[in-house]
Amino acid sequence: MASVHESLYFNPMMTNGVVHANVFGIKDCVTPYKMALLVLLSELGRAGAQLSLLERRRLNRLLLPLLQGPDMTLSRLHKAIEESCPNLANSVQIRIKLMAEGELKDMEQFFDDLSDSFTGTEPEVHKTSVVGLFLRHMILAYNKLSFSQVYKLYTALQQYYQNDEKKTGIDETDMELTNTEELEGKMEKEELDVPLREEEISCSGPLSQKQAEYFLSQQASLLKNDETKALTPAFLQKELNNLLKFNPDFAEAHYLSYLNSLRVQDVFSSTHSLLHYFDRLILTGAESKSNGDEGYGRSLRYAALNLAALHCRFGHYQQAELALQEAIRIAQESNDHVCLQHCLSWLYILEQKRSDSCVLLEHSVKKAVHFGLPYLASLGIQSLVQQRAFAGKTANKLMDALKDSDLLHWKHSLSELIDISIAQKTAIWRLYGRSTMALQQAQMLLSMNSLEAVNVGVQQNNTESFAVVLCHLAELHAEQGCFAAASEILKHLKERFPPSSQHAQLWMLFDQKIQFDRAMNDGKYHVADSLVAGITALNSIEGVYRKAIVLKAQNQMSEAHKLLQKLLIHCQNIKNTEMVISVLLSIAELYWRSSCHTIALPVLLQALALSREYHLQYLASETVLNLAFSQLILGIPEQALNILHTAIEPILAHGAVLDKGCAMFLVAKCQVASAASYSQPKKAEALESAILNLNEAKTYFAKVDCKEQLRDVLYFQARLFHTLGKVQERNKCAMLFRQVHQELPAHGVPLINAFK
Amino acid sequence: MGKMAATAVVPGLGSCDFSDLREIKKQLLSVAERSRERGLQHSGKWASELAFALDPLPLSELPAAPVLTEEDARDLDAYTLAKSYFDLKEYDRAAYFLRGCKSQKAYFLYMYSRYLSGEKKKDDETVDSLGPLEKGQVKNEALRELRVELSKKHKAQELDGFGLYLYGVVLRKLDLVKEAIDVFVEAAHVLPLHWGAWLELCNLITDKEMLKCLSLPDTWMKEFFLAHIYTELQLIEEALQKYQSLIDAGFSKSTYIISQIAVAYHNIRDIDKALSIFNELRKQDPYRIENMDTFSNLLYVRSMKPELSYLAHNLCEIDKYRVETCCVIGNYYSLRSQHEKAALYFQRALKLNPRYLGAWTLMGHEYMEMKNTSAAIQAYRHAIEVNKRDYRAWYGLGQTYEILKMPFYCLYYYRRAHQLRPNDSRMLVALGECYEKLNQLVEAKKCYWRAYAVGDVEKMALVKLAKLHEQLNESEQAAQCYIKYIQDIYSCGEIVEHLEVSTAFRYLAQYYFKCKLWDEASACAQKCCAFNDTREEGKALLRQILQLRNQGETSSTEISAPFFLPASLSSNNTPTRRVSPLNLSSVTP
Repeated sequence: MASVHESLYFNPMMTNGVVHANVFGIKDCVTPYKMALLVLLSELGRAGAQLSLLERRRLNRLLLPLLQGPDMTLSRLHKAIEESCPNLANSVQIRIKLMAEGELKDMEQFFDDLSDSFTGTEPEVHKTSVVGLFLRHMILAYNKLSFSQVYKLYTALQQYYQNDEKKTGIDETDMELTNTEELEGKMEKEELDVPLREEEISCSGPLSQKQAEYFLSQQASLLKNDETKALTPAFLQKELNNLLKFNPDFAEAHYLSYLNSLRVQDVFSSTHSLLHYFDRLILTGAESKSNGDEGYGRSLRYAALNLAALHCRFGHYQQAELALQEAIRIAQESNDHVCLQHCLSWLYILEQKRSDSCVLLEHSVKKAVHFGLPYLASLGIQSLVQQRAFAGKTANKLMDALKDSDLLHWKHSLSELIDISIAQKTAIWRLYGRSTMALQQAQMLLSMNSLEAVNVGVQQNNTESFAVVLCHLAELHAEQGCFAAASEILKHLKERFPPSSQHAQLWMLFDQKIQFDRAMNDGKYHVADSLVAGITALNSIEGVYRKAIVLKAQNQMSEAHKLLQKLLIHCQNIKNTEMVISVLLSIAELYWRSSCHTIALPVLLQALALSREYHLQYLASETVLNLAFSQLILGIPEQALNILHTAIEPILAHGAVLDKGCAMFLVAKCQVASAASYSQPKKAEALESAILNLNEAKTYFAKVDCKEQLRDVLYFQARLFHTLGKVQERNKCAMLFRQVHQELPAHGVPLINAFK
Repeated sequence: MGKMAATAVVPGLGSCDFSDLREIKKQLLSVAERSRERGLQHSGKWASELAFALDPLPLSELPAAPVLTEEDARDLDAYTLAKSYFDLKEYDRAAYFLRGCKSQKAYFLYMYSRYLSGEKKKDDETVDSLGPLEKGQVKNEALRELRVELSKKHKAQELDGFGLYLYGVVLRKLDLVKEAIDVFVEAAHVLPLHWGAWLELCNLITDKEMLKCLSLPDTWMKEFFLAHIYTELQLIEEALQKYQSLIDAGFSKSTYIISQIAVAYHNIRDIDKALSIFNELRKQDPYRIENMDTFSNLLYVRSMKPELSYLAHNLCEIDKYRVETCCVIGNYYSLRSQHEKAALYFQRALKLNPRYLGAWTLMGHEYMEMKNTSAAIQAYRHAIEVNKRDYRAWYGLGQTYEILKMPFYCLYYYRRAHQLRPNDSRMLVALGECYEKLNQLVEAKKCYWRAYAVGDVEKMALVKLAKLHEQLNESEQAAQCYIKYIQDIYSCGEIVEHLEVSTAFRYLAQYYFKCKLWDEASACAQKCCAFNDTREEGKALLRQILQLRNQGETSSTEISAPFFLPASLSSNNTPTRRVSPLNLSSVTP
């Protein structure tokens, strides 16, 4: 089960965090675009009576995004107005043209006239309305301008108009694009959601404050939700540097640059940007000059906390701990419980790296609930569930806890946490060996996403939960022999999470694991061996395990045994029960391959006990298969058949195709072995049923293309037919056997001794 | 005469030797004149200052006025008019009357006035731009046009040394650093005498590697350049060597060189030398304002209040609206603990020249003193923005966060400072202290040890190291450090009251006592008696020693000092491998 959690505590754009605050107080200043808006407003006032009701309504809806949005070019503004009311658009255009081509006094006159709209007994604009406030802001800002500034504004207006004249020819095509969206009346949303195109940014030179803010927030949310759609790291950095060159006080840009550096795993520059950001943030908070909640003391605490997060992200746990201690101390000194709460969660994550005590976590959850931090509380619950799942708590309790936290999520509409919860359920079901349940949960998350997209508009597309679920899905498909589907899913993953992105390692690991399994099935051990290095790089334990398997398959028993023993001790130390059981099974297999079944038995029993204790059903069934096989070899096939009955059901329901095949093959063998003591007619009946089972095993093996096992089954079947005297069938099987046999190298291990 | 003029126009500086000082003087005089003709005041000043340091020439050898060409004569009227406008800072007017002039001199002045006009307007714009946003966006509009025109001329190879210099400046202002460096190097080749081009190169070269890659003209000017850039790059040893050789070559009277040497000594914190050189400099050039800010820093460090006060008043009389003056006054107030006023003066300095880096850092220090940490952070950040290599600002940021009790957080800043000045013990000690606070004692030990190894200025690293060892019960190493420390203190000859000396003696006395080395122990205990805070302890120890000596006279032979085992020493990093009993003959306070 992949760890879903760590990166989620690391969620800089959170509402509880620091970042959302808009640190620059918006100081209004008159820009040519604002003047165009003023013209629009005054025209609106003049033409008031003649407008139809529909036009009026459209215009009113248009106004708010225009007032609050970033500056846009004149032609774009013109188009936007034209959609609502063509007449008005033309008159606005004409008035701006007159003003720009006229003299300075035209502009001065215009501003003088503006304040008229407030006067009179029945004013056109109410002073405290949105429009009224905007008008008054603008008039005030204009009156504050010095002589030279007024002149500068006027030349800026002229330029604004002239630039537009020049560009109208070129821009016609992509204006059409925005048109269609605006037609659907989704102006507010779409207008803001159209990502800034690269050429648009790069050619525009210095951005205005609004544009810069918009650019930053958009890129930040893209980084969080759908990284592939954001600008490439290099280009984004270039833009940010440009932005900072013109406005070094733009603290948020430093933060974005920090996030951007994280994308490319650059410790050095990300630290630099983070610290720079907080240095800047401290300045802006300094106005209140208090150490309390609002002042810069707050940013100090979060600065240290973020530094801890950064170090944790890069795996510098010791550094992270020191930074965290600092954050905790400062937070304690200033009694900031919310910050302390965040620290506590982080403390858990750091502790988790060394020991798995969950005292901290329980404490954290309780406190988080107390301080009303649902996000942290839920994350805590989820971490706790994950931890308990590894510790072998029963499924019903875990699912109950998850269900309860799900209620919380829906209530607070924490869609991100819902995703995680589902991903976690998938993983837990997989851990318990219930592939169908896992499959169902995975599908649920994937299809739920499309449902949400309609409602919210903010898609969380490349979060870790999606990566986890998709990886599990790929593996489940591969287990069922649907390799084409699995590779299709992996291809999708590759697109969604490009190799440089944060969660790419997940699918890389799964991809290699699937390839490895396929290579092992085909008997291409050298291919599998070459994959081991890649797996080790991503997950060392898994890598060592796979290496041992390859060695085992290549009959290098003593090396494999040594490796497995080492691995066993290591896994027992870090309490990775899943791996311990797998290793025990492999060791047992090594023993019975060396015909030491009596030694294998206690190992198997140990594995069985462990898997029962931790409710790992699938591993338990597999252990039972091994056990049954040992019993078969030791000459008690009846006993073997007995215990097989307990295992066969879960394997057929949830198991991988290969395991199903092995199980059926084993059942057939046991049936044959136990039939030896039966009377003749009963024996024939038993053999018939064994043949049927073998047929089933054959289809399974064929599905995953397991030629070696197929050959063995065919041989066995041929022998059975021979015993029953069915010559024709026997010959058919023999012929098939010969075909397969010619393709494959000779088998080193005697047939009867191998079950896998 | 004609021949002489030719040498002046195309200075034939084949070698970098200083054998012909007369020739050098001639060249300097002529280039000073030519710089002035083109309005390049600073280069002119530099050349004249240097020329002044050399012996005067007899009348017959004075460089003649450069011969006027046909073109010069044609442009003479326009040039004369424009030059007077230019001198009155009416750049646009000057440029207007110079348009169409073909001669090199007039053309340069034409372009230069346009450039300066753009710069002046830019500075004016910053004061009243439309909104807060546009603050950083004001550009010198003329730069682009200038670049286009100059690059055309450059391609056609029509630019002389001054023209190339201007082209380089324009490129640098447009942030085209690489191109700018190439052009400046070319300018230095064409007209090596023009100091401005060299100075611009100094500003653009950031490290030694870059310097090595440049192919520079092999003239005596190169020596001045190298000395200057070594100072900039903090390669003080090399710089001092160069300056010494320049003095030996005959420039001993040059105030420029003297001031540069003083600055170099300031940079390696050889305060006494720097102070004496500055005093000398002020005697020679009493109305000098340049570099006086550095001088005041030195006076500040030594807490020489009366001298600093005198300097401040003197400078204020000469010109109170100079950046350096403001800085000196700021330092003066700071020394008098009037930090608000100090900050005010630093602010004034910044108003006079926003690119004056030192003031940002100093202002940060003042805010720190006033406990206004956020303003301090702001000031330091500004300083870093102006110059990323300003180690004092990084160090200051570190200190600020240390005051805010964030030892881990400030590690980053100290590390940056340490990177920039790897051999400065103050950063290392600061780093060590942080590590100590974080309880990372191994790292702390390393830092202190390194601080000692690079030459500890404050002499505190060893004591701190010793205390760490003491804390870790590594008494062997602790004793070593204390011994080193005491030797250090006494060997440098100063009779400074060091608080920790008594601690050191007390520890050593106890250490020797434990080792049963009675002689050494009693010697140290006696030393203890010389200090107020350890007197009683010292006496008590002496008594004990006497007692034990009388008792243990017989048994003393069988005691072997376990601390001398080499095995226990193999892994430590203390100064010397063996504990040698303190040589007390030299330790006479």
